[in-house]
Amino acid sequence: MPLALLPAALILGLLLLAPMAGLLVQSFRHFTPGHVGSDVGAPLTLANYRELLNPAIVGLFVETFRISAIATLIGLVVSYPLARCIVRRFSAASRVACIGFLVALILLSMLVRTYAIELAFGSVGMLRPLLRAFGASPNSGWYIQCLVGAGLLHYLIPLSTLMLLGTVQSVDPRLADAAQSLGAPAWRAHLSTTLPLSRPGLIGTFMVGFTFSISAFVIPMVLGNGRILFISNTIYDRFSDIADYPSGAAISVVMLVVSLTAVGILSWLAGRPAVPE
Amino acid sequence: MTAAARGRVGDDIARTGVAAVLIVAAIFLLVPLLVTILMAFDSRSYLGPLPPPGFSLRWFVACFSRQTLAVGLRTSLALGILATAISTSAGTAAAIALERGTFPGRTILSALFLSPLIVPPVVIGFALLLALSQAGILNGFVRLLCGHVVITLPYTIRAVSASLAGRDASLTEAALGLGASERQALWTITVPLARTGIMIGAIFAFAVSFDDVSVASFLTDPTTYTLPVALLSAMRANFDLTIAAAAVLLMVATVILIFILDRAVGFDRLVGQGMFRT
Repeated sequence: MPLALLPAALILGLLLLAPMAGLLVQSFRHFTPGHVGSDVGAPLTLANYRELLNPAIVGLFVETFRISAIATLIGLVVSYPLARCIVRRFSAASRVACIGFLVALILLSMLVRTYAIELAFGSVGMLRPLLRAFGASPNSGWYIQCLVGAGLLHYLIPLSTLMLLGTVQSVDPRLADAAQSLGAPAWRAHLSTTLPLSRPGLIGTFMVGFTFSISAFVIPMVLGNGRILFISNTIYDRFSDIADYPSGAAISVVMLVVSLTAVGILSWLAGRPAVPE
Repeated sequence: MTAAARGRVGDDIARTGVAAVLIVAAIFLLVPLLVTILMAFDSRSYLGPLPPPGFSLRWFVACFSRQTLAVGLRTSLALGILATAISTSAGTAAAIALERGTFPGRTILSALFLSPLIVPPVVIGFALLLALSQAGILNGFVRLLCGHVVITLPYTIRAVSASLAGRDASLTEAALGLGASERQALWTITVPLARTGIMIGAIFAFAVSFDDVSVASFLTDPTTYTLPVALLSAMRANFDLTIAAAAVLLMVATVILIFILDRAVGFDRLVGQGMFRT
């Protein structure tokens, strides 16, 4: 192994792999309520994992995955035509401007994004009169879910669009033209040529968007208003509110296993390696 | 109605539907930012409905006189610059070695190097907190630096790898064939090829570090905290418009970063260079 790999390997080993191993051990430690973390040499136990079968925690996982999956899918449905439009319809100048705007949205601070959405659509936002007119409250559960979804989408749309540009570009437009010249209407032509050819790109984009969403932290914390928690928020609360490190570690381990499984399944579906090279 | 006519109606519906989706998406992406900019200049002393009756700079003044934000900004800048420097050097060296090397385990290693991207940042922060406490490292800044080096490293490795992919090997071979030494080939072929990737990686690394909350939340101490952590606690304490002013300033910072990126690389190359790939 070349020497040039050493610094990066050291960083990865000492600051990621070793701490993850420590986290795994911590997740089996016995926790005494009131203490900060587990005691040194505390006995090993499975109690931290058994506690996760509690319906509240299971519900937390289900909620996180449900909102993330829906938001990522909506993001794909919006981003795919947007990417196509940028690649096939726009002039060179507006293509560059559009890509620049999307990259700016990616680099924009997550806090700025969530604050802006809270300000625009939140409980004090400008949709409030509209909601009132329909007899809905901006504090109702479904609306807060939408708000968290909107927070995710504000990042997912630019991310998915930029990722899909390459996919759309590599699909030969002459295939859809050929289908049309054989008598298929344009929408059928795209549905049966363009879309299937974009499948690996779509699955890959879904995977990246989905892993981003399920590990979201700031978005549910601010927009969820304490009513919606994601797994990340619960891990943080275990750490900061009750200092129950073993339980936080157990949730982290399960979260990691579940998201790695999801990544594995999706990349198998896409027929590509698990991590982009 | 004939099949062809039905097809045309279908096309019209599809085209209108797609146009509607794109317009709604553009509004959705832009409106929150515009609202924030508008509200940041609100002259009212409370958070009222749109539009503001008058404009003032009071919230910007309030933002600049907030002690915690100034402290956070200073930490974030120092942290961002240091973390970017470390991960860009380590990442560039690793990416070049991976790209030029032919040793066993190369693919596994490069997958491993990108793995911090799929580990949830909260898990990285929590694991690091436990490990660093156990190792007796209690200095807030050192802890934050450790966390930010880990989360920024994959961006620099990926950007540099992408800028070399497929182009370096044949050019290096040509240089060696023409009598250059290994060292000469490295400095005259590989490093110049990698330059765009290094720039892109460094800019993304800085942006990631400057924006991180999930990892930093675990690693701060009462006197060392980053700007996003300070902003988040200000946001949760009272929802006033000082944050809107800070948000506008951060938007300006993003725009500046985007101009640098465009000047240094160009957006077309950025997409082509594989920063956004599946």
